[in-house]
Amino acid sequence: MTEPRVVERFKKRTVWFHWIHTAAFLILIVTGAILFIPGFGAPAAGGITRLIHRIAVVFFAGVPIVYFIFNPRMSLHFIKETLTWGRDDIGWLEAAPIYYFGGDEERMPPQGHVNTGQKMWQFIVLGTGVLFLITGLIMWFFKGTVAPAAFQWCIIVHDIAFILAFLMLLVHIYLGVIHPRMTESLRSMLDGKISKTYAKNHYGKWYDEISTPEE
Amino acid sequence: MLVDVTKCVSCWWCYAACKNYNGLPETIKPDPEEPPPLSPHVWTTLKPIKIGTEWHSRKQACNHCTDAACVEVCPTGALSYNKLGFVQYDREKCSGCGYCAEFCPFGVPQLESNKATGIAVMDKCTFCKDRVTSGEQPACAAACPTGAIKFGKRSELVPEGKERVAALRQTNASAIFYGEKELGGLHVMYVLDDSPEVYGLPADPEIPPPAIVRDVFKWVGVGGIAAAVIGFAFNYLVSREVIIASQLPGKEYMREREGEEEK
Repeated sequence: MTEPRVVERFKKRTVWFHWIHTAAFLILIVTGAILFIPGFGAPAAGGITRLIHRIAVVFFAGVPIVYFIFNPRMSLHFIKETLTWGRDDIGWLEAAPIYYFGGDEERMPPQGHVNTGQKMWQFIVLGTGVLFLITGLIMWFFKGTVAPAAFQWCIIVHDIAFILAFLMLLVHIYLGVIHPRMTESLRSMLDGKISKTYAKNHYGKWYDEISTPEE
Repeated sequence: MLVDVTKCVSCWWCYAACKNYNGLPETIKPDPEEPPPLSPHVWTTLKPIKIGTEWHSRKQACNHCTDAACVEVCPTGALSYNKLGFVQYDREKCSGCGYCAEFCPFGVPQLESNKATGIAVMDKCTFCKDRVTSGEQPACAAACPTGAIKFGKRSELVPEGKERVAALRQTNASAIFYGEKELGGLHVMYVLDDSPEVYGLPADPEIPPPAIVRDVFKWVGVGGIAAAVIGFAFNYLVSREVIIASQLPGKEYMREREGEEEK
């Protein structure tokens, strides 16, 4: 048997989770942002986009919950990974500007399963996700029962979370799909696999971990 | 517009004239015991106030602020300032987001929305825009039989309101003129025979702080998107050139470049 030239980066279910969550988020973005785009008032006021917003959020919140129930260890690991920050992250931050403008790959310190930039994105997804859900649920179900000032802050926090998440989403799409250096990033989110070379170059520490045979 | 509560006899003609002129369906039978609150179908109403044993009324409708919180937060431009100063409303542009209803310090714009479908309708007093812009007075002012609602130029109504209050003050020290300075100056001002709070008006109305925070972040958002698009284009062009070049002739290219830069 020949040794495979690819390594598994994401499990199939993680890939599914990613894309369902993505679809839900994109629908939420469109049906939410439509409130703010002059000229699109009529469809928004007509209610259909609001209904879609409410349906999409069931998936946006439900898919992570289902994923968590069936994969508690992986999910907790993801959360732990997102919240663990250390000296390596400073090394990444220092090397990142040159690296992303095409500088020498070798100057970038080896990264784990996710690099600091990806961790920032995970942090934004988790953080704004929680903010979106808390403020959204209050606005949906507790209108009139919470104090007006609290409601106003919910609106504002929901909006700020959107700005943060949307800007970081643009970065995420750019780096994942367009950036000339990230040749296998999109593929890894489609079939879950990347080449060993790509793994070595981009996630050196992680590659060493997975290629060391377990005792 | 000047509203003088001391002249109001609670006849509800302003309410009826508003409904009639603006074609608003009658959804509730007016009942002086329980007057209809403002809603998308009720743009003006009377707020019953009990002072001692006496009942008073204050006409309640949009105050048409000079610095209006609703205009500040409206994302689609449905609410805007008319050049005559009042706050006009373009129903076609409204997305039903409800921000105006949440941020108005007087609680005037009313949003009716369905919890399940989210269908949302906002409506409020338009200052009878088409009448006012063609030189007529608003329907409520035209209907008022006692002179409790007086329409005119703001510059003339401010001194008149002050005079009326000065006259009241001779017997009633708590009489007050409301709306001259509030929120940059209201276009509906009140002659009150008691404190604003008694009449359900905030003593010191302001644009709520979250609305101001929102205003800042709006530009963070727009600026951020612009910066991202420009940054990506720049990054793409630079990094693609460097990466493709460095892949073709090997690492030599990078060293040469660095050598050149040193020179």
